[in-house]
Amino acid sequence: METLGFLIDGFGVALAPENIMFAVIGAFVGTLIGALPGLGPANGVAILIPLAFSLALPADTAMILLTSVYAGAMYGGRISSILLNIPGDEPAMMTCLDGYPMAQKGKAAEALAISALASFGGGLLGTIGLILLAPVLAKFALSFGPAEYFALFMMAFATLGGITGKNPIKTLVAAILGLMISTVGMDMSTGIQRYTFGILKLFEGIDFILAIVGLFAITELLLFVEHHLDGLREQIKVGKLKLKFKEIVALIPTTLRGGTLGFIAGVLPGAGASLGSFIAYTLEKQVLGKKGDFGNGDPRGIAAPEAGNNGASSGALVPMLTLGVPGSGTTAVLLAMLISLNVTPGPLMFTQNADIVWGVIAALLIGNFVLLVMNIPMIGIFVRLLSIPTHYLLPIVTMIAFVGIYSISHSTFDLKFMVVFGIAGYIFRKLEVPIVPIILGLLLGPEVEKNLSHALVISDGSWAVLWGSPLAIGLWTMSISGLMLPYLIGPLLRKRFQKAKPEAVEPDND
Amino acid sequence: MTKIGDRLLGLSLLVLALAYGWGSQQWPAPFGTHETVGPDTFPLLLAVALGITSLYLMVKPDPDNAWPNSRSALELLFAIGVLFAYAALIEVLGFIFTSLVAISLLSWRMGAPIKTTLIIATICSVGVFFIFNDLLSLPLPSGIFEVQ
Repeated sequence: METLGFLIDGFGVALAPENIMFAVIGAFVGTLIGALPGLGPANGVAILIPLAFSLALPADTAMILLTSVYAGAMYGGRISSILLNIPGDEPAMMTCLDGYPMAQKGKAAEALAISALASFGGGLLGTIGLILLAPVLAKFALSFGPAEYFALFMMAFATLGGITGKNPIKTLVAAILGLMISTVGMDMSTGIQRYTFGILKLFEGIDFILAIVGLFAITELLLFVEHHLDGLREQIKVGKLKLKFKEIVALIPTTLRGGTLGFIAGVLPGAGASLGSFIAYTLEKQVLGKKGDFGNGDPRGIAAPEAGNNGASSGALVPMLTLGVPGSGTTAVLLAMLISLNVTPGPLMFTQNADIVWGVIAALLIGNFVLLVMNIPMIGIFVRLLSIPTHYLLPIVTMIAFVGIYSISHSTFDLKFMVVFGIAGYIFRKLEVPIVPIILGLLLGPEVEKNLSHALVISDGSWAVLWGSPLAIGLWTMSISGLMLPYLIGPLLRKRFQKAKPEAVEPDND
Repeated sequence: MTKIGDRLLGLSLLVLALAYGWGSQQWPAPFGTHETVGPDTFPLLLAVALGITSLYLMVKPDPDNAWPNSRSALELLFAIGVLFAYAALIEVLGFIFTSLVAISLLSWRMGAPIKTTLIIATICSVGVFFIFNDLLSLPLPSGIFEVQ
C-alpha cells in the first residue's frame, strides 16, 4: 500500500501543468522519432538530452520528457512497419510480418488502430509491472555491498550484447574502451590527473553527453552517406477506419500474453524490446497454431509484437531505475540524463528522489493514454510526416545535435570532439564493435571503479572479496553464461531472427 | 573474405592497452602509505583486460565488412570535412550561415535536389536560430552577419 501512496504523489508531480505539457511534447516527438526510418529511439533521446540540459529543465520534468519520448518511439516504430514494410526502429521489425500484408489488403487504417491499441495494452501492462516490481527490487538491492555491485556491473556488460549478439568479445572490447574513456580526468579519491596530457579541457573528464550525441547522431549520418539507402518508398494509402468492437475484444488475450512476455523480456538482462516482440510473436503463432493466418495479415500477428515491445520498454526501466544498470541502448541514454542531472540512480533513488521516480512512472501511465489518443485519431499527421526523405532528415538532425552540444558549453572544441566521436563510432560500426557498451562503460565507469576500490579497501586488498558472497557468485555465474550463451544458442536464434525479419536493420539501439 | 579489419583493430587495441597500462604506472604514489588500492588499480585492470581481448581478436578475427569503395570514401571524407568546417566556423560566420551551408552540402551529396535543399536548409537554420535565440533564450552565435 506504500506503493499506492507514492504513486499518488507521483501523479501530483506528473499532473503539474508544465510536466503534462512536456509529456505531450515528448509523446509526439517520440512517436515521430519512432516512425521515421533512420532515426532510432536511442538516437532520438540522445539528441534531446543536451536540449533538456541547456534549457535547465528541473530533474522531474526532464525525465518525464525523455521517458515520454522513449514510450512514444515504441508506438511510432509500427507506423512505417505497416505502411512501408520498413521498421521505424528495430523492435518494430516483427510488426512488418503481418502489418504490411494487412495494409496491402486495404486495411491500413485497421492495422494502425489495432497496433495502437495493442501498444497501449502492452504499455499499460508493462507500467503496472514496473509499479509492482520496481519497489521490491529496489528494497532487495539495498542489501548489495560494493562487491555485489561490482559483480552486477560486470553482468550488465556481459549480457549487453544480448543472446543474439554476434561476437561477445567485441561487446567486452567496447565496454572496456568506454570504461577507459571514463578514467580520463581527475581521480576522485586522490586528485591525481589521469590521462589528461596537460590539456585543461580534459581535467574534468570527457563529457559523456557529447560522446553519446557523436556516437549516435554523427555516426548515423556517416553510415548513411556511405550507403544512400534512400530510394523511392512505396507508401500505402490509409483508408477510413472500420473496426468493430468485437474485433477489438478478440485481441485482448493476445495483447495480454504479448505484453506480459514483453515485460519479462524487458526486465531480464540481455533481452530487450526487440527480443520481447520476437518472443511475443513466435509464441502467439505457436499458441494459435492452425487457427491463425500469420504472415498474411492476421491482426493477432500485429497485436502480439506491438504489445510485446511496449511491455518490454517499461520492463527495461526496472533495472535502470532500481539498480542503475540499463539493459538497452535507449535506457542507457536515459541513465545519462539522470547522471547529468546529478541524480544517482539505484535503490536509494526510490527514497531520496521519490518524486522523480514516481513522477516518471505516473507520467508513463498518463503518457500511454496520451499516446493512444495521438495514435488513433491523429494518426494522419504522422503518416504525412513519414514521407520526409532521410537525406533531409539526417542533416537536420545533425544541425540539432550541433545546437544542443553548443548550447551546453558554448565551445567549438566540444563540437569538434563530438565529430571525432562520430568518426570513431563509424569505424566501430564497420568493424561490428557495438556502440552501446562504450556508452554504458563511459557512464558507469566512475561507479565501477568506486565499488571496486571500496570492496578492496574493506577486504584489505584481497581480490577474493569480489566473489565472496552467494549473491556475488550468482551474478558472476550469470555474467559468464551471458558471455557463453551467444556461442551456444546464438547462431540458432539468429537464424530464426534473420528468417523472420523482412529487411536488414542495424542490430543495435533498441 | 579478408579478416584484416579485426586484426588491425586487435593490433591497435593492444598498443592502446600497453600505452594505457604504462601510463597508469607513471603517476606518483599517493602520499605516505602504500595503499592496497591506488588510482592505478582500476586502469591497470582495464589494460590487462583489453590486452587479452585484443590478442583474441587478432587470433580469431571475424570476416571484414565491405569497406566503402573509393567513391563513397570520398563522399565520407567530404562529409567529415563539412562537419569539421561547420564546427570551426560556427562562431566566426554565425549559426544561420554555417548551418545553411552545412545542411545544403550534406543533403545535396546524399542526393537531394539542390533547389528544395536550399529552401529547406534556409527555413530550418533561420527557424532554429529564432526559436533558440528569442523563444528559449539560448543564444546561438550570429557571427559577422549580425544585424543590430
